[in-house]
Amino acid sequence: MTGAAVVVERLEKTLGKNQVLRGISFSAQPGEIFGLLGPNGAGKTTTLRIICTLLSPDSGRVEVVGFDTRAAQQEVRKRVGVVTADIGVYPRLSARENIAYFARLSGVPDADLKRRVDAVIERLDVGSFADQRAESLSSGQKQKLAIARAIVHDPQVLMFDEPTSNLDVLASREVREFMVESKGHGKCVIFSTHVMHDAERLCDRLAILHQGQVVASGSTAEVRGSRRDLEDAFLELVGVK
Amino acid sequence: MRTAWIVYRKEITEILRDRRTLMAIGLAALATPIVLGVISQVATKTATQEYTIGYSGDIPAGLGDLLRATSLKLVPVSDPAAAAARQVDIGVAFAPGVIDEFYDPSRQSAQIADTRLRTVLGQYSAAQAAAALQQRGIDPGILTPVRIVGHPLSSPIQAASNAFLSFFLPYILITMILTGGFSAALDSSAGERERRTLESLLLTPAPRSRILLGKIGAITTISLVAAVAAIGSMFVALSLISLPQDSGIGHITLSPVAVPVMVWVAILIAISFSAVTLALGTLAKTFRQGQAYVTPLYFITIFPASIILFIPDFNPSLAYYLIPILNAVLVLRDAIVHNAVEWPTLAVTSISLVATGALAWYAALRLFTREALLTRS
Repeated sequence: MTGAAVVVERLEKTLGKNQVLRGISFSAQPGEIFGLLGPNGAGKTTTLRIICTLLSPDSGRVEVVGFDTRAAQQEVRKRVGVVTADIGVYPRLSARENIAYFARLSGVPDADLKRRVDAVIERLDVGSFADQRAESLSSGQKQKLAIARAIVHDPQVLMFDEPTSNLDVLASREVREFMVESKGHGKCVIFSTHVMHDAERLCDRLAILHQGQVVASGSTAEVRGSRRDLEDAFLELVGVK
Repeated sequence: MRTAWIVYRKEITEILRDRRTLMAIGLAALATPIVLGVISQVATKTATQEYTIGYSGDIPAGLGDLLRATSLKLVPVSDPAAAAARQVDIGVAFAPGVIDEFYDPSRQSAQIADTRLRTVLGQYSAAQAAAALQQRGIDPGILTPVRIVGHPLSSPIQAASNAFLSFFLPYILITMILTGGFSAALDSSAGERERRTLESLLLTPAPRSRILLGKIGAITTISLVAAVAAIGSMFVALSLISLPQDSGIGHITLSPVAVPVMVWVAILIAISFSAVTLALGTLAKTFRQGQAYVTPLYFITIFPASIILFIPDFNPSLAYYLIPILNAVLVLRDAIVHNAVEWPTLAVTSISLVATGALAWYAALRLFTREALLTRS
């Protein structure tokens, strides 16, 4: 599709003896939230890791904002921000230092660094704990910090891999609001989840993965079809109903 | 190199806020003076301690005073052999022209008392023989037809000082470099996986080779700080504690040649072993697992080096200088004892340590770029 932020074509990947991906294809546009849905082990995280260049595909190809993930890894990494459920932060650095560290590594120039860090701190309402060491932060605060770290270099593609699975109701809501806000800023948001309710509310389009294959894709309404909700559609598509 | 500098600064900041590493450096600074203090106490006590001789029979005229002047206390006993087994350090039975000595060689106090007794008896016998000859009008010089006149080529005191330093300094230097950076290296490698920051770090466009260089640089710095703290405190301790006079060690100084050699070798060891520890730490999923991988390395490297320190006249071929750590000990010992640099051995040592560091850095880089690093966790 022309103008797609992320293009995934016939992706295959085997980890150990397990073929995790069996020819996955989809594309995601700027200014939309694209959902990757599937049960545990469906291949969602592996797909995201290939898109952000952490893993290489065995076959198939991925393009991010026009850059091939195998040929131009550095360019892809500059344009991608990833938030996962594993909120790893440097405990002995403050929230501000954590953000600044990743900004520097992502190539933000020193002259622009303070402005960028202050901007994400304000945008994500991190100011109240910005100078606290990360080890003293709550899970919700750490997740905000992880998001701030992922977006400080202003990436065009944002990927959220089960971002709310360890969070309370309030923190989960803030993450969801942030995804919607990012979409409004023209970012391509890829949202991997197995929470159907979240996907139905947030995603413009989605793909359902099952056993390493896309079993359905399209707009949320198209995938839901005539079923009562997305959960029913999902269960039917993965063969439970 | 901007990336390496960014990583270096962040790692140093984290290390300086890590109680484990600060405690390791603090202990490094404290341990050396404590060990030297204990050695000084033991050495002084041994030199001035009085030992007891249980004797029977009549003490030859004048010998009693000589023995007492050498801190050998004389106690009359009925059975010197039985007394030497428990009550006293050695037993002696004086008879005209013969002295029977009874001692247990497995007891250190008996060995020391025996040495002192034999020294005093040697002097006493020589004096008695000289007096007897003089009474007969014969020159006592005939007892020593060949006299030895020593002409030491260097100060015996400096030689004793060098021997002392050549034993302690390489051991302290290497131990502190290895242990000083231990915690920082594991925190920087296995710790990244344990805290789940590794994935975020690898997601940045920063080249992984530069990330590793920054980490190695930070670990090297901390290792050297620990070594400087330990050696600095060692010299402070040596200027404050007193060593026994008969040890021959007066004012301990490091020769001008040894200082630059020590600095150079210390930097090489720190770089190469920071890389090795980092590579091993990268294999581990947790800090604790990293400890299990790295601890054997410490023993494997320090053990041969320690053995060499107990062989003072070990004269190795050039091939020995290829063995990392052992080579550093040998080069340092040569520089301290002989006050000279042997360039071939220093060159081989430098190449060996640099090659070790480069190989470890390459191994760490390969591990850092393996998908299994992420998928295994």
